[in-house]
Amino acid sequence: MTGLVRMRLRGYFRTGRIVAPTLACLVVLGTFYGGGAAQAGEAYGVSALLMFPIIAWQTKLLLDAEPDVQRRLARVTVGSTTREWAAGLVAAGIAALPLLLLALALPWPLGGVQGPVRPEDPPLLSGVVAGVWAHVILVAPAVVLGALASRAVTRTFGVGATVLVGGAVLALVLGLRGSPMWWAAPPLLSIIRLTVRGFVASGVTTISLHVAVWTIVAGAVYARVRRTRA
Amino acid sequence: MRIEDVWLRYSRRGPWVLREVDLALTRGEIAVLVGRNGAGKSTLLRALVGTLTPVRGSIMGRPAPVAWVPERFPADQPFTVRDYLSFMGQVRGLPAAQADAVALGWAERFHLTPFLHARLSALSKGTAQKVGLTQALLVPPGLLVLDEPTEGLDAAILAELPQVVGEVAAAGGLVLVSDHSGKLVDLPQAHRWVVAGGRVTAERPGADRARCVIEVAVSSSRAADTVALLRAAGHDILGVREESVAERGAS
Repeated sequence: MTGLVRMRLRGYFRTGRIVAPTLACLVVLGTFYGGGAAQAGEAYGVSALLMFPIIAWQTKLLLDAEPDVQRRLARVTVGSTTREWAAGLVAAGIAALPLLLLALALPWPLGGVQGPVRPEDPPLLSGVVAGVWAHVILVAPAVVLGALASRAVTRTFGVGATVLVGGAVLALVLGLRGSPMWWAAPPLLSIIRLTVRGFVASGVTTISLHVAVWTIVAGAVYARVRRTRA
Repeated sequence: MRIEDVWLRYSRRGPWVLREVDLALTRGEIAVLVGRNGAGKSTLLRALVGTLTPVRGSIMGRPAPVAWVPERFPADQPFTVRDYLSFMGQVRGLPAAQADAVALGWAERFHLTPFLHARLSALSKGTAQKVGLTQALLVPPGLLVLDEPTEGLDAAILAELPQVVGEVAAAGGLVLVSDHSGKLVDLPQAHRWVVAGGRVTAERPGADRARCVIEVAVSSSRAADTVALLRAAGHDILGVREESVAERGAS
């Protein structure tokens, strides 16, 4: 499977498709941090939310970079349906790391993060740790959303774009305070609410569990669909 | 490998492409699929390699590793020939150095060496087809499936292909070839699977040695189409002539 992961990553980078999500990341976060400095947890929480659709989009770009016949050939060559789609998800997860590092580093040269101002503000380190956690925890659900929007599942560009944009918007709408269906989407807004307070262990556990369950369920849907859609 | 009561179609309400397919092959055997365009040869081969799931029935005992040469090689990829073959070898589980060495060996046999540093997207159809053949042979296959492998190949490789197929079969591999062109129907000891009308009929090797001649009359305007159709179904055309006045009177 590692051979297929390497091949897909190399194919993605060589097509130059990585430029688009990288530019999107720079523009969106540059605009966000250009508005002034904020507490580390708050700034990183919003950054993680903004990165969610960008990583999902990048996943779709990466998976769609491979022609359909080559994807089927990869399935035959690697000898297992599960290994074929899992290799795509792993490649997308690895491809997300440079974007995450960029998102985590960007606020410092742009002056987007500041230390505690009011007594009730969490310490800088606590906010940074919460921010790193927020970025890392959202990679898996973003990758699964992008995979569900990929051509292997959706067949056409229109349906793919609808799944990608609709999924990201729904994740925001369902995460609004008081939403009766908060459990149906990754907890993007809950993550921001938590990171504002810094790294709080109890909240981190609950949200991590929510993200894990959502990712497993959505990942199972992807696996089920990919069983018949090679 | 057993194919038991397999039914195939592409969508829930779509027409059946193949119905009630019951076939069996043992290790070292070769089967050539013949049939006209759109008869369902590629559909059956996709099911046999596992990229299409039968709606009904099952395919059992598929010998690993499976190697597949698709009808159209996916050349729209950002790799050179050498990189692609090396990667495919690694996907097969070979270490990078071994994958590269094996790929170079096959590239030499298929006259691909001058193209090793060419980008896949810049290859001609025939050269791309050779790359497709090479990737399938990087590891000795248990099941080798060739979907119209002769398309665009030059005479030297066409002459080499039956030998390669024979070597895979001699090593215990099972080989399935679809051949719309009729260039591979005479592979020695090959079963012939005739795909027509949504069904697949198997003929034993050597079954066509005892042959009979059927005289068929068709309208002159349909003669060319009928000849092509019969050839695609694996039949030999012994001749085409105008119907005599006496024959016309008799009919």
